[in-house]
Amino acid sequence: MNEHPALQAAGLGKRYGSKWALEDCTLEIPAGSVTALVGPNGAGKTTLLQLAVGLSEPTTGTVRVLGHSPRDEAVSVLPKIGFVAQEHPLYRGFSIKETLKLGQKLNPSWDDRVALDRIERLGLPLRQKVGTLSGGQQAQVALTLALAKRPQLLFLDEPVASLDPLARREFMQSVMEVVSDTGMTVVLSSHIVADLERVCDHLVILARAHTQLVGPIDEIVAGHRLLVGPRADSAAIARMHDVIRESHTERQTTLLVRANGHVYDSSWQVLEVDLEEIVLAYLGYGSDRGAAHAAAREAVAR
Amino acid sequence: MIEFHLDSRSGVPTYLQLVQQVKQSLRLGILQPGDQLPTVKEVVGSLAINPNTVLKAYRELDLDGLVEGRRGQGTFVSSDLPPVPPDDVKALRTSLQRWIERARAAGLDEDNMSALFADTVRPPAVSRVA
Amino acid sequence: MIWVTWRQQRTETLIAGGILVLIAALLLPTGITMAHAYHHDGLAACLGTNPSFSCHVAIGGFQSRFQPLFSLLNWFTLIPGLIGVVLAAPFVHELENGTYRLAWTQSITRRRWIAIKLAVPIAAAILIAAVLIVLTTWWRAPFVHLNGRMETGTYDSEGTVVFGYTLFALALALAIGVVWRRAVAAITIAFVGYFIARIFVDTWLRDRLVAPLKATWKASSAQPADLAHARVISELGTGPGISFKTGSGPLGSHAAHIAIPRGLGQGPATMHAVYQPPSHFWPLQGFETGIFVGVALLLIAFAAWWTHERTA
Repeated sequence: MNEHPALQAAGLGKRYGSKWALEDCTLEIPAGSVTALVGPNGAGKTTLLQLAVGLSEPTTGTVRVLGHSPRDEAVSVLPKIGFVAQEHPLYRGFSIKETLKLGQKLNPSWDDRVALDRIERLGLPLRQKVGTLSGGQQAQVALTLALAKRPQLLFLDEPVASLDPLARREFMQSVMEVVSDTGMTVVLSSHIVADLERVCDHLVILARAHTQLVGPIDEIVAGHRLLVGPRADSAAIARMHDVIRESHTERQTTLLVRANGHVYDSSWQVLEVDLEEIVLAYLGYGSDRGAAHAAAREAVAR
Repeated sequence: MIEFHLDSRSGVPTYLQLVQQVKQSLRLGILQPGDQLPTVKEVVGSLAINPNTVLKAYRELDLDGLVEGRRGQGTFVSSDLPPVPPDDVKALRTSLQRWIERARAAGLDEDNMSALFADTVRPPAVSRVA
Repeated sequence: MIWVTWRQQRTETLIAGGILVLIAALLLPTGITMAHAYHHDGLAACLGTNPSFSCHVAIGGFQSRFQPLFSLLNWFTLIPGLIGVVLAAPFVHELENGTYRLAWTQSITRRRWIAIKLAVPIAAAILIAAVLIVLTTWWRAPFVHLNGRMETGTYDSEGTVVFGYTLFALALALAIGVVWRRAVAAITIAFVGYFIARIFVDTWLRDRLVAPLKATWKASSAQPADLAHARVISELGTGPGISFKTGSGPLGSHAAHIAIPRGLGQGPATMHAVYQPPSHFWPLQGFETGIFVGVALLLIAFAAWWTHERTA
């Protein structure tokens, strides 16, 4: 695996009409990582993915995938990336065999053996029309199309959102197997936060068209703490650490902070926080002063 | 060959659960020195977890001296967990029984005792903000 | 990519082909019957400026026998529009259900995809239009011998205009479809648009493309020679006695056989006519084809540009 980041964005932005779908996005995704792109619907996840695969053109800034511009140098980039769009579009009237033939005709890097092996292991009959398959099976066929290119980088847009839990599990099993075999980089977007830690080792949190937090999950979990103590002002803590979320009851104050070093104030009980809580806090849930923090966070969290 | 399972609600990091399950299997004799652990690909394929997590777990077991990776072949159990000496077990059980009597006299029921034990044995506790 | 396009458009192309086969199935038996009757009745010998009485009878008999069928065929002028919009459906469908995203993230460039996906229906449109022209020209041949080909129903289906109509309908459906991205709605609206455009051209524009001729003659003498197989726009009789005017409409117009009422006073003294003679056939066809094809090319260019630049 080469040292270069699989994806680099600098000041990346996309505007539709007067509305910014993504603004001022700067991040790097390391090669070989499995990155979760997390955020509520409308946060900019699909926009970012579409910019990354060259489906749309940036309004501001640049994006480079495997060292090239996906829009301007499509011929260099497209054979090396796989993309499964939201709702995994497929030609419903085609049979599975014809769908694979499409992949072969349109991709110089197509490996038919990989495709046929996968379909066989999935137990799907080649002659069956795609439109008659279940949602989970269609998702697997769409994934096969992407994986048979032997991509270095796989983009998945809400791949499992419309699938039942079993189909979801099987889909991710397939992806993880290829990752362990080939070291493929994966970027998957999701608005479901639970189960992320299982699969992903990097995180990008998007909300309101901006990146809120980017980094390795280990470090993120290690770097955030929950402070619980008697009702108090957060100012003292805020001088040393970034307060991401604060909430108060009559007797108690709870702060979720991104700690800059150890928390020395003994009036607080210091607890670890799991990833789901951290993500939700960055998305603005549970805060008494959500909007104000969001603005402060944007300046700090990058 | 053992099979791993995951409790995603337990709050224990995934890699640690794998480590604990290997150790438990060693204690119970399910795994013996020379046995092969499931390959990274197999674990990943059955649990749908990140391969790095498996690698991390196996690395930790390697550092503990319990397993060793053989290039091109996989990861194998290298030694048993040292068994706990039976005399120590007996002494520990006796002092535990005394502790339980004292706790009951102080008004704790079984649940209180379990909570106190869990809180004390695991540093620092992972929070569950309800 | 060619295979992919063909396979994806297979259904629509077969539908268009099916329509063509259906038309052929209708036209072939009746056309053969007509041609047979034409020769059997010896009508070829009846062409000319001075038909005999028996020729009149034969022509009258032929016409009354086949006129209803002939009038029915005037509606066939909508077929190029129907075929054109149907051929646009696969392209719009791709945009509607998002499968273009699948194609654009394989390894093919967007430009190449658009080029081939447009080239196939355009080629199909031209081919089908050619077949239609050949079929209907053959079928109408007896009538054309008798009445010329300037009448609207015949004119619309025998010359290069059919290419223009089909391409225009295709282009209109594409242009609407790439913006609106709903296949059924786009082809319906495009078909209505085709209908309106055809009415506009047939009734208003056509006679302004090439200036019609005007003629005046005494009622008592023979009409001008080139009035025989012409399309009469208007006719006026003036002078003492009854004046009347005949005209012609877009569908089912009749050739100019002027009936002079006898025994009703003196009748008109002078006849005036405004008409398009047969010699204007190709100039008119050329202009009309050029307009439709030109607009079609603009619409297709727009559809291609919109898809390339504005679709994500």
